[in-house]
Amino acid sequence: MRSPVLSLTWHLARSSGRRGLQSQLLAAGAAAAGAFVLLVMLAAGLGSGARADRTAWRTPEPARHATAVQALATTYVRHEPVTVVNLARLPDRRATPPPPGLSAFPKQGEVYVSPALAELLHKLPAGQLADRFPKVTTYGTIGAAGLASPDELVAVVGRSPGDPAVSRAAGDSGMYDMYQAARAEVSGFQGSKQSLFTYTDQSTALLGVALLVMPVAVLAAAAGRLGAARREARLAALRLAGATPRQIIGMTAAEAAAVGAAGALAGAALYAALLPALAEIPYGVGSWYTGQLWVGLPWFAAVVLAVTALITVSAVSMLRQVATSPLGVAQQADPRRTRVIRLVVFVAVALYVFSQSQGGGLSTRQVVGLLLLFYGAFWLFGPWVVDRLGRIAGRFARRPATLLAARRLSDDPRGAWRTVSGLVLAGFAAGFFAVSMVGTDGSHFRDQVAVVTSNAAEARHATAEARTLLREAGVTATVTTMKEDDYDSLTGGSPGLVARVLGGSERIDAAVTALAPLGTSRMPYTQDYATAGDRSAVDRFAEVSTATLALSFLVATASAGLTAAAGVLDRRRVYGLLRLAGTPLKVLDRARVRETVLPLVVLAGGTTAIGVCASYRLNKVFGASLDLTGALQLAACTALGALAMFAAIGCSRPLLRRVTADPAPTAD
Amino acid sequence: MNTVLAGRGLTKKYGSTTALDGVDVEVRERDSLAVMGPSGSGKSTLLHTLAGIIRPDGGTVLLRGQAIDGLSENRLSTLRRKRFGFVFQFGQLLPELPAEENVALPLMLEGMPRRQAVRQARRWFAPLGLDGLEHRRPGQLSGGQAQRVAIARALVVEPDVVFADEPTGALDQATSTEVVRLLTSVAREQGAALVMVTHDADVAAHCDRILQVRDGRISHHSQYTVA
Repeated sequence: MRSPVLSLTWHLARSSGRRGLQSQLLAAGAAAAGAFVLLVMLAAGLGSGARADRTAWRTPEPARHATAVQALATTYVRHEPVTVVNLARLPDRRATPPPPGLSAFPKQGEVYVSPALAELLHKLPAGQLADRFPKVTTYGTIGAAGLASPDELVAVVGRSPGDPAVSRAAGDSGMYDMYQAARAEVSGFQGSKQSLFTYTDQSTALLGVALLVMPVAVLAAAAGRLGAARREARLAALRLAGATPRQIIGMTAAEAAAVGAAGALAGAALYAALLPALAEIPYGVGSWYTGQLWVGLPWFAAVVLAVTALITVSAVSMLRQVATSPLGVAQQADPRRTRVIRLVVFVAVALYVFSQSQGGGLSTRQVVGLLLLFYGAFWLFGPWVVDRLGRIAGRFARRPATLLAARRLSDDPRGAWRTVSGLVLAGFAAGFFAVSMVGTDGSHFRDQVAVVTSNAAEARHATAEARTLLREAGVTATVTTMKEDDYDSLTGGSPGLVARVLGGSERIDAAVTALAPLGTSRMPYTQDYATAGDRSAVDRFAEVSTATLALSFLVATASAGLTAAAGVLDRRRVYGLLRLAGTPLKVLDRARVRETVLPLVVLAGGTTAIGVCASYRLNKVFGASLDLTGALQLAACTALGALAMFAAIGCSRPLLRRVTADPAPTAD
Repeated sequence: MNTVLAGRGLTKKYGSTTALDGVDVEVRERDSLAVMGPSGSGKSTLLHTLAGIIRPDGGTVLLRGQAIDGLSENRLSTLRRKRFGFVFQFGQLLPELPAEENVALPLMLEGMPRRQAVRQARRWFAPLGLDGLEHRRPGQLSGGQAQRVAIARALVVEPDVVFADEPTGALDQATSTEVVRLLTSVAREQGAALVMVTHDADVAAHCDRILQVRDGRISHHSQYTVA
């Protein structure tokens, strides 16, 4: 015989009335938000990896049977990096395949540029940028295949094999050259080293994904709990009518899965529809090619399924308690106590994480693993803290609202934890990222332009020539010859010269351009070049921190609002009867708010501090110092998050008023 | 005895349905009044109107001679908290509070310090046969015990009138008898009047008077001697 579960589920869902529809829509909305956030962060993680791979061809890989010389150089304009790939065909060798994005291997004197660089060359005076490259009548265009981002500034320059730009001295011999300059004889462009400006993108984005997984899981769980009261009432009625617990659970699972899948699909569709808009959001080297942000069908399906599964499991586990012990759940005969084992596990995990991060030298994967482990342990620990907090507050409470809140906390610490966990974990993320702005200091090289030469004699000669070139370009500067052992200078211990330029950023660019024809193997450079390594990591952290904070607070706020609404609906009868007996609405409301504020203040404060501490450890891994200005951002974010949380709880106040206004409250 | 609560010409309509149709009712001090009638007869509407939960469409409710149906919602709420006590069929106790705190809650809402409120609440446990159950939570009490805690909570503010809506509806016969006996006797001892809606004639028999309501009107008004 055909199972009646599906048809009955459909019939009951359709006839569940306006309130039933509301909670289904809310649950679907939460699923949509969860799927959308996860897909966006996943897209950033996967996309940044894919686009970093597109930069690998620029760093030369030595070949046994070389056909060409390739030299990577980096120059800066308006503080933005311009990647320059110099190529020269070796005489009497077979042809070299064209680099990605080019239709042919560049001939001597040809210059190919990315669209963004072409635009900049057109916009800026030649004396600030164009004169750094060989003079050409027209520039060739580098196609998308050779670029990580439409905003990337890249040039490919065809040289003669004897050109200083592709000479052995053009390699990475200087203190600041690592990942920004390299030279090798190549036979193609199968390099595997991602560029300095993209190689940290993926790991940082994945760290953001890891930090967002929990808040999204909480949101999905909150969505699954919506309508619990309605389902409990339905369970009771259907059990009386002869339905088996398995049928009830089947019906709940079917309904929750349908609602969750509809919501998750809507969120996923929204992600797909917004791909062109999302691609405009800059990260790392700039905006995206739309295709880079498409996660692929397997990931797309996996996220939809995962969010649906989370909502279904949450709804079923809620109902399973009723099915196995209906009386216990209905009357809450036993307080849902937490055991001290939670504390023990947390302390053990915290010690393990501490000891593992102590020595430094962890890979990003290990850091993400430790973070997730800590998250998991904190998830166990949270309810225990809430329970203890409730007992302590209950002992000292003087006012009815505080007493009610405290008793609620110790009565159902897991439920209370669910309400605040999103923001508490977001607080951890905030604490972690806000101070992860790894400190870098290259400010003492400001307004300087350096030129590295092969030896001291060349340096002296170049100094005289530089003065002339700068004077001709109308740049006011003091030019000093640098010795080989002067490690504190912008030349970093190489022989060369330093020009101290008056007049700001445009003049610096003009000086770099003016000094380009000095004929040395490497391009003149500025402070941007010297600090690029640190800055690249710092910038990525800053960008991911902003995105993670915004998204996690958004998700945490949504889940707090949903949980608060579900709480009012679950307790509508007792609220209604208390109100009817004259209990002021504001007492019930205050109790609800305090029930959230108490654990929030203690736990969010605690986790934020732990986040700061964890970040300190991570910074040590990177060998960098803490940026104290991040504390301000942290304070602002936490305050904003808390305000958003209260606003979300406040949103269920009209619902509380409505359910308590009914003089004869019913189960649904 | 003085009249403590009176309803004069009370009318109430829900759409085209008339729930109360010119009902006159009077409750005196220490008086216990059972309101009976079939489902949908208007007995719960009458109780809610007398308790100031529902505003009548017509007529007036007087508490010690003063009309209450014109009061603001806030003042009505305060009035219900201070001058009335309520016992419902089930579910009025907060599941997370121990019994003594459930009873003390109305006193705390009135601003009484917690220790004093709990101390005062405990005094009700022995007379109601609840000794030793002070720290139990509602889920750990039997139905009869929970209703006795509810009675204690209704009486702890020393109300003028206790309203009971099917207070024994979820209890077995023996427990019903015990609970209603306690409710009527303790209310009388405290000088509170009792208005109780019930389907059960045996329960109603414990009250001084019985009002039979049908189609929003009083169909019969009888006076009993307490059994």
